[in-house]
Amino acid sequence: MHYRTRRTLQMPASADRTQPAATAAPSPPAIAREPESALRGLARRVGVIFGVPAAIVIILVILPSVLSPLPLLDVQSAVGLALFACATNLLVGYGGLVSFGQGAFYGTGAYVIALAWLHLHMSFWISFICAPFAGAAMAVAIGLVALRTRRLYFALLTLAFSQLVFVIAQQQVSFTGGANGVFGPMLPSFLINPDNAYYFTLGVAVLALLALYKITRSPFGMTLKAIRENPERAEALGVNVFRQQLLAFVFAGALCALAGGLFVVYDQSANPNLLSWTESGYPIFMAVIGGQFSFLGPALGALIYEQSRDVVLAQFSDSQLVFGLLLLLIVLAAPDGVLGRLTRGFALLARRWRAARPGRPGGPGPESAPRDAAHETAESER
Amino acid sequence: MSHYLITLLSAMTEASSLFVAAAGLTLVFGAMRIINIAHGSFYMYGAFLVTTVAGGVIGGERFWLALLIAPLAVAVLGIITELTVLRRVYRSEHLVQLVATYALFLIFGDVALRLWGSQARSVAAPSPLGGSIAIGSGQFPVYDIFAMGVAVLIGLGLWVLLQHTALGWRIRGAVEDREMLASSGTNVALLSTAVFAIGAFLAGLAGAISAPLQSTAPGLDASIIVAAFIVAVIGGLGSVAGAAIGAIVIGLFNTAGVLWAPNWEPAFIYLAMIIVLAVRPWGLLGTPER
Repeated sequence: MHYRTRRTLQMPASADRTQPAATAAPSPPAIAREPESALRGLARRVGVIFGVPAAIVIILVILPSVLSPLPLLDVQSAVGLALFACATNLLVGYGGLVSFGQGAFYGTGAYVIALAWLHLHMSFWISFICAPFAGAAMAVAIGLVALRTRRLYFALLTLAFSQLVFVIAQQQVSFTGGANGVFGPMLPSFLINPDNAYYFTLGVAVLALLALYKITRSPFGMTLKAIRENPERAEALGVNVFRQQLLAFVFAGALCALAGGLFVVYDQSANPNLLSWTESGYPIFMAVIGGQFSFLGPALGALIYEQSRDVVLAQFSDSQLVFGLLLLLIVLAAPDGVLGRLTRGFALLARRWRAARPGRPGGPGPESAPRDAAHETAESER
Repeated sequence: MSHYLITLLSAMTEASSLFVAAAGLTLVFGAMRIINIAHGSFYMYGAFLVTTVAGGVIGGERFWLALLIAPLAVAVLGIITELTVLRRVYRSEHLVQLVATYALFLIFGDVALRLWGSQARSVAAPSPLGGSIAIGSGQFPVYDIFAMGVAVLIGLGLWVLLQHTALGWRIRGAVEDREMLASSGTNVALLSTAVFAIGAFLAGLAGAISAPLQSTAPGLDASIIVAAFIVAVIGGLGSVAGAAIGAIVIGLFNTAGVLWAPNWEPAFIYLAMIIVLAVRPWGLLGTPER
C-alpha cells in the first residue's frame, strides 16, 4: 500500500473530530425532544461550563484534610505546573506558536522573587506581584524578534533566547548565585505553613486559569485561532497578525512567570535549570499528553507527567527508559491527548445512550462533563 | 599569523562533524517533515560504537573497521525505529511526532547508559593519522584534517546523490510535494525508510568521526541535537548546502567565543542564531513558507 500523505489525511481526520461535538451538541435534530424549561436549561448550561472544573476545585480544596503533607506538596507542585502548561498552551494549542522558550519566563518569575529577597530584602508579596510584569516585559523583548519567524524557526529561536537567559543566570555568579541559584528563607511566615502555601498556590492558579479561560473565549482568543488556521487570510481580513501574536506571547509570558512565582512558594529557591530548554519542553509535553486542543488538557497532562515521573523514579532504576516507553505509549494510543481521547470516548458513549433511549433529554449525565472539551476540540482543530 | 590559521582550522574541524550531523537532520526534516530529536541519540551511538570496537587498542588499527561498522549499525537502528514507531505518527500533529521522538531519545539515552555506563570514554586516532603537522610555528593534528576531508566527501556525495541519482530526485520530489510524488508512482513509504536510514547513517558517521576528537559520555546526545538543529535552522531547513554554511558559521562563532570570552562561550551559538534569524527569518538558504 502506498503511503498516504499528511494532506490527504487531514480532511478525514478533522471530519472525524467534529463528529463528537456534533453529537454532543444540545439538540441532535434527528431526535424529537420535549421542550425543556428555562430553569433546567440554565442549570444544564451552568453544569456544562462549571461542572467538572468546579468538582476538581472542590476536591483540591478538601485535599489537605485527607492527605499528609508530603503528597500534598506533590499536588501543590502539580497545580503550579498545570498553570505553567495551560499558559504555554495559549501559544501552542490556541496560537499554533510552539514556543520552546517558556522556561525563560518561568525562571524569570522565580528569579525576580529570589533576587528581590536576596539583594533588596523586598517583601515577598510585592515581588510576587512584580513577577508576572517582569515576565511580560521580557516577553515583549523576545517576542519582537522571535515572532518574525514561524514554526520550527520560531521554536528554535525562542529556545535560543531561553538558553541565552540561562547562560546569563549561570555566569553572573555574584548576582544570581551561578549554577547553584538562590535559596533561603524567602517566604513570609504565613506561607511557611504547608496548608497555607497549598491554598495560596491553588487560589492563584485557579484565578489565573479563569482569566486565561476568559482570554481564550474572548474575541482576541478567537482571532488567535483564526491566525493559527490561516495567517494570510487573517491578515487579509484586517487582523494585525504580529500584534495579536505578540499580545498572546506577552499574556503567556506573564502567566508563566506567575507559575514561576508559585515554584518559589513550593521550593523556596530559584536556579538556572528553570530557565533551560529542557524545562521549556515540559509544558509542551504536558500539553501533548493531556490534549492541546482542550482548555484543561495541559493541566491533566501536568498531573499525569508529575505523578508518573514520581512513581517511575521511585520504582525503577532505569527511570528514563520506563518513562520514555510510557510517553511513547500515550502518544501512540492517544495522539490527541488523554483528555481528547476521553472526550471522544464519552461522546461516543453518550450517542449510544441517547440512541438506546430516544426522546429522553440528555441531562447532565456522563457526557456533560467533556462536552465543553469536545466543543473545544472540534472548533480548534485545524 | 600561523596562530590564526590554526584557530581557523580548528573551527573548521568542529564545523565538519556538525555539518555531517546537521545534513542528516535537515534531509530527514525536508523529505519527511519529521523533527527527529532521537538524531542526537544516533550520533551518540555512533561515537560509543567506535569506542567499543576500536577502544583500548594501541595504535588504533581497528578504527577503520569501527568507522565502517558504527554508521551502518546506527542506520539499521534507524530503519527499525522508522518501521516500528515513526510510521505510526506520520498522520499525527507535528508536536505529537516531536514528543514521540523525544520519548525515543529518553529510551535510547537510558539504553546507552546500560550498555556503556556513565564513564567518559575516549579513543585514539589510528596511527597514520595520529601525529600533527607543522603550520608556521604551530602544530595541527593530522586527524582533524582527515575529519574535514570526510565532511567534504560527504558533502560531495550528498550533492551527487541528490542531483544525479533517481533516489535523489525522488527525495527532492518529496521535499517539494509528497502527494504528487506518491500519485506519480513512487513508493513513498519505502522512500521514507530510505531517507531515515540515510539520516541515521549520517548521524552515526558524525559521531564516529568525532569520537577521537572528544570524550564520549552520556549527555552527548542532548548537546549535539541542539547544536545540529541550530546549524540546520541557520542554513535553512531542508537545505544541505545551508547546513554546510550553518556549520561553518557556528564553528566560527564558537571559536570566537572560546578565544575572546571563554565564560560566555555557551551563549555564542545562540547569539549566532538570533542574529541570523533576526536578519533572515527563514535561514540563510531557506525559502519562506513552502
